[in-house]
Amino acid sequence: MNVIETSGLGKRYGRTWALKDAALAIPASYVVALVGPNGAGKTTLLHMSVGLTTPTTGRITVVGSETAGSPAALDQIAFVAQDAPLYKNLSTADMLHLTRNLNRRWDQQRAEARLKELNIPLDRKVGRLSGGQQAQLALTLALARRPSHVIADLERVADYLIVLSRGQVQVAGEVEELMAVHSMLTGPAAAADDVTERLAVVHARRAGTVAHLLVRNGPDPAPPGWEASPVSLEELVLAYLREPGATALPGPRPRATQDSGIRA
Amino acid sequence: MTAVAAPSPPATRPRPVPWTKLVWVTWRQHRMALVGVTVLLGGLALYLLIMGLKIHSGYASVTSCHPARSSACQLASNLFTNDYHPTAQTLTGFLLAVPVLIGVFVGAPLLARELETGTFRFAWTQGCGRLRWVITKLALLAIVVTSASYMFSLLFSWYYQPWLAKGLDGVLAPQLFALRGVDFAAWTLLAFALGAIAGVLIGRTVAAMAASLAAWAGLNFLTALFLRKHYQAPLVVKGASPSNTNPPWVFGQWYTGPNGAVVSQHTVRNVAAHAPASVQNSHNLNAVTAYLAQHHYTQWWVYHPESRYWHFQFIEGGWLLALSLILLAATVWLVRRRAA
Repeated sequence: MNVIETSGLGKRYGRTWALKDAALAIPASYVVALVGPNGAGKTTLLHMSVGLTTPTTGRITVVGSETAGSPAALDQIAFVAQDAPLYKNLSTADMLHLTRNLNRRWDQQRAEARLKELNIPLDRKVGRLSGGQQAQLALTLALARRPSHVIADLERVADYLIVLSRGQVQVAGEVEELMAVHSMLTGPAAAADDVTERLAVVHARRAGTVAHLLVRNGPDPAPPGWEASPVSLEELVLAYLREPGATALPGPRPRATQDSGIRA
Repeated sequence: MTAVAAPSPPATRPRPVPWTKLVWVTWRQHRMALVGVTVLLGGLALYLLIMGLKIHSGYASVTSCHPARSSACQLASNLFTNDYHPTAQTLTGFLLAVPVLIGVFVGAPLLARELETGTFRFAWTQGCGRLRWVITKLALLAIVVTSASYMFSLLFSWYYQPWLAKGLDGVLAPQLFALRGVDFAAWTLLAFALGAIAGVLIGRTVAAMAASLAAWAGLNFLTALFLRKHYQAPLVVKGASPSNTNPPWVFGQWYTGPNGAVVSQHTVRNVAAHAPASVQNSHNLNAVTAYLAQHHYTQWWVYHPESRYWHFQFIEGGWLLALSLILLAATVWLVRRRAA
């Protein structure tokens, strides 16, 4: 099953294409990070995956064949938006209560345990938490929904996006993993090398900008159509910073004659 | 990734998030607005209640005065009217703005604040889906504000009743018409619906408030001034002013001359100026009318009798309700298709 599957996906704002002709399939059970320069269409793509943006062209389906943004899809996908837009006038406890009432499943104990671990007080107003704490709260809310998949748009924090998708999300493990992927691109690169293991890098051409798809392999071998190759993170990040377009990393080797787009 | 040979049949749809949970969400997020409405209406209701009791007891003593025609009773009646009636009339002018205050302050921020602060990205990506979310909020708040203002207008009707019983005001008079019956509640609902749709269209709280306030005021103004009198063909009578127990809603009068053609007010004044001093100095307006009638100048009146009150109330309540429902449905549709 693919968590996100798109074909010919495009979004145009006025005369500008935010995303053009993206063909992409992100399978479940993989931790996937989407990297690209500003304006590469990362947020647009993620917003389309949860129905916050409607495509101009092409189509996008999620968790199998569900319509992006439908209740059936949102029941399985927890989305963490950029800047953690939460209700600033509510207390942390009310924010938990609110999210519980907006969803079918809810794990109050895990949410409270995680907030305690992070030293985020339950009685404080969300608006009085630090930016980092608010981001953590948003993530906690997403994970306490016990979703099958998490799509997190962490661009402002990390200058890239992470799509975390697995069959069953285990709160502690998943967050560690998410944060590991997070720190491996933001923290000292060498220290994160062991986390990387193997990364498949896919790049896509779109209107002069390039988006990269970083995939950390799961326990299974790479699915058909995916190119997996070992690469050190330092190498990756340096190459990316040097010139996102002319990356030294192995690109995709599509079998079919798809002409452009993010390839799986 | 495990390859599945055959696509598994679509799993049975999970039961959606129960409405009761969304009711809690609505209450938690809009309780401050609802408290504001309660304080506003509650404060005014308290005033109406206290003053209403005074007025009703005063009116009871005036009606029980015997003999009713005596100058003492007339004086008591006049004093009573002068004590309370001007205040009551001033109050009606203020109360006309209450529906739009309630509707706009509850309706406009409902979606505008979510769009303005970006929290719609949180609210619309939860498991309940944005459709259920918006329908619950709109329906619940619409019902609450409409029924609250309906109950308030019932209290106002009771408060104002003595003046109607004394025949001082007509029930079709624009100010009173909008404060009694179903009209007050219907205009509140429309203000709420205008606020909600302005919120989703504009996406900024203050701008949405201003826009819906302007739209409401314009519509209210046009209705009271031009539209309402066309709900039914008005009656036209000649001679003395139409009157029964209460003043009817007169919105037009003119004179016709001896040849049956309409004449200007200037002409009428000229004719009246030639009347004998006994007529000109008479305090009875009917004396002038009678003099004019002798000279074949007839006065005509266009009016709606007060017996049409409920008919008009239901016509106006009906179209306001229909318009509000259309606006609310359009708001739901806009939320559903909105691509931020």
